[in-house]
Amino acid sequence: MTDLRSELDRQRGTERAQAIRALLARPLLTRAADPDDFFLVARHAAELVPWFDEHTGWRLSVEARQGYARLAKVSARPDGTRPARRLRGNQDPFDRRRYALFSVLAAELLTGQVTTIGILAGRLAQATAVEPAIPTFDSASREDRRAYVDALLLLERFGVLTATDGSTDAYLEHADAKVLYRVDPTRLARLLAAPQSPSRLPGPDLPALVREDRYDDDADRLRHSLVRRLLDDPVVYFDELPEAERAYATGAPGRRAVRAAVEEAGLQLEERAEGMLAIDPDAVATDERFPAENSVPGQTALLLLDSVLAAHPEPVPHAALAEQIAARFAELPGWARTYRSDGGAQRLLAEALAVLERFNLIARSENGIGARPAAARYAAAPAAGAKTPRPRRAR
Amino acid sequence: MSDARPAFRRVPADMFAFTTTERSDLHTAVMQVFGEAAERLRAALTFDEVLAGLPEIGWYEPVSDESLEYTLGALHKHGLVDRAQNHAAHYASAAEYERRNLHYSLSRKGEAAYQGLLHALDLLDGSGALQTSVLDAIAARLGELDALLGDEGADDRRIHTALAELEGHLTELRSGVVRFTGRLQRLLRDEGTDPAVFQELKQATIAYLTEFVTDLDTRRLTVAEAVARVEEHGVEALHARALRGADLPVLPGQADPAPRFLERRATRWAGLRDWFRPADGGRARVEDLSDTARGAIVSLMRALERFSDSRRRGSSPAADFRALARWFSAAETDEAAHELWAAATGLWSARHTHLAPDDPTAVGPGTSWFRAPGVHVSPLLRTHGQSDRVSRTARVRDTTEIREQRRQRALRERLELEEAWSRLATPGPVRLSAFARLDQGSFSRLLELLARALTVPARDGERRASTADGRLVVVLLPPPDHHLAYLRTARGVLVAPDFIVSISESRPGQAAPVPLRTDFRREATA
Repeated sequence: MTDLRSELDRQRGTERAQAIRALLARPLLTRAADPDDFFLVARHAAELVPWFDEHTGWRLSVEARQGYARLAKVSARPDGTRPARRLRGNQDPFDRRRYALFSVLAAELLTGQVTTIGILAGRLAQATAVEPAIPTFDSASREDRRAYVDALLLLERFGVLTATDGSTDAYLEHADAKVLYRVDPTRLARLLAAPQSPSRLPGPDLPALVREDRYDDDADRLRHSLVRRLLDDPVVYFDELPEAERAYATGAPGRRAVRAAVEEAGLQLEERAEGMLAIDPDAVATDERFPAENSVPGQTALLLLDSVLAAHPEPVPHAALAEQIAARFAELPGWARTYRSDGGAQRLLAEALAVLERFNLIARSENGIGARPAAARYAAAPAAGAKTPRPRRAR
Repeated sequence: MSDARPAFRRVPADMFAFTTTERSDLHTAVMQVFGEAAERLRAALTFDEVLAGLPEIGWYEPVSDESLEYTLGALHKHGLVDRAQNHAAHYASAAEYERRNLHYSLSRKGEAAYQGLLHALDLLDGSGALQTSVLDAIAARLGELDALLGDEGADDRRIHTALAELEGHLTELRSGVVRFTGRLQRLLRDEGTDPAVFQELKQATIAYLTEFVTDLDTRRLTVAEAVARVEEHGVEALHARALRGADLPVLPGQADPAPRFLERRATRWAGLRDWFRPADGGRARVEDLSDTARGAIVSLMRALERFSDSRRRGSSPAADFRALARWFSAAETDEAAHELWAAATGLWSARHTHLAPDDPTAVGPGTSWFRAPGVHVSPLLRTHGQSDRVSRTARVRDTTEIREQRRQRALRERLELEEAWSRLATPGPVRLSAFARLDQGSFSRLLELLARALTVPARDGERRASTADGRLVVVLLPPPDHHLAYLRTARGVLVAPDFIVSISESRPGQAAPVPLRTDFRREATA
């Protein structure tokens, strides 16, 4: 006989795990952009808030009426490979100019509920004019207008701004475009998640910004630090952990705590001698995939990884990998056409290595590129003598 | 000039044009030279006198004759300076005569413009204040007027000066209020200034306003009573005597100034009544003033509260964002900016692999990655960049469908269970053979119930058990005879002793069902 209650429990557990992973992927989850995940989170908010607090020490606020959920992620070692991205074109990462404009804009938006794109541009110009450290915004410059629009679009994505009349993109063409915005100042204030106030620090100081005062219990601190990394990072190597964390991670209580958190998030835990990693079979809680399909850098990364693994434990010189790409170019004239231009091979090599670095599978040293242990997961299966299909032309 | 037209239509368009041109500084300086000269009762100046007057008012730069000429010409063109032939001077040459035969003086418009300028500067410099002393002065002058009017022999000139003083104080009160209101607005709006100054200023303003408001009511009443007393003598009589006291010159060719004088006095008096004792018994403006002052006290205190709040929090989000903007601009690389973004906002995505080994438990946790089995990576990914040649993109597993199916199944099972049980309930004790024919679902439930009953020990020959959720109670009695029951189902026939069975829903108050041992199920299936 099927036990109804346990069936329901299992179902709730599955839903909760989905909600956790949705929040891990998008720490600011809005009803407008992701209605399904948002409602999932809203339904389970009562359990999710203590869950994140207990396992990660991250504060989750679910504003069901306002239509957003915000997981305030904090990391002691913020990652430079997960930038804010432009919502136009190639989704290129933000640059310093855009980040600065975004921040000034956020400060200016805190004062009112309704504004227009023109008024905002004026205030941006004034605010940057009085800040000697920030280049003055000039709405006559096309490049500045593009950066301005990128910042506005990101604010719209977060639901901080809502265009009630007109479209932000129109500003790219004319600085006198008319767009009316409604501002949500509480959501704006929620964009800041750092444990310390930047304005209270004397100057740019990343470690000071992410310093957390909440811990007086060492066990909590160790557990949170470890679980955060496992829920967030592609792989956690023991040799990268500070001594205390390593001892905790390899001890029984640490393993138990980590396993519980990872499994409740619907992830699989892979424990090995060198470290651990969480697997998300649904690829929900990830900003990119490896191995990836239909991606020339992704495919190249896999091929380079084969060479690096073959040479293990010796590192492979950079030049050898470049030669590998050049040889492939010669062998398959139709392959990777967008990288055939001047310097394309170098660019492809850099991008492929960046993929591998983002997944923490390689280590660079003076002598070249070496394999990190988790790279072995993706080793080509020992050739079963099967005939590999003729390569098709990929673009 | 008629007073009937509103003020905004009566201002000559170019009255203050001299302050807005490129040469406005020299223009204004020359105006000032004329103004200062007028104060010394020198009405007209020659070109050289103007030139000589410039250093006296603080203009030390050299001025060429051409530029001064140009300036005087411009002022003349705007109607601010009059020009007249100077016949009194002595000229050494014709050229000198050509150039310097003119007398310059301020026109009426010029005088007005210069006075306007002085007034504007005064307003710009002055901070504006609400002065209780002005209210006291108004009350004192009104008292004086009352006394003078009561005395038939009093000097009309004295009445005129007292009235003029009164009107002067009223004007001062009005302009003081205008200026103060403006300052208050700026104070309330302006939060970006130096926090210490800001706080000090606000606190001082609050103290000042409180003091002002405290005695305002008494002063207001005093003035209103004084107004009433003067009015008892008749306002017109007052104005008539003031007119006599003013001793206005009547110039030939100009209109009689008396009607205009009386008209202005009436307007001013009406203004005074508006402030302290409205004719129609309406609200006095001085009451608005006290309301405004009280309102300002409240808003200033709120602003102070907000300020100390934000100081308790350490900073405001706006200050945080501004600090971040500076940090971003100071970042050395884009990558450093990305790290700062992550640290400040925490808006990054998790990153995980999606490939799992076929058998996660194949090796122990102490195994090295280099010796553990890897994950299955499609060889096509290496050759073609795709894992599947048919479909270009892998389908993400849709778990909603599976969850919905599971939910439906659970519901369906629950319904079946309810139905089977309701079908099994007996009206009272019956023979097992009475069930005769059963569908598969009900039959398996019945078997389960019988199994439960048969596994508990008999008490007085009776076996009693209940379902796991306690809803149904089954009571089993051994058959009194050796009859056998034949239960037919679609899958076959069950032959069993023909027990006496009673199946009923347990109700509150009934004897508690026999507790089942927790390991019952394992035993029953074993």
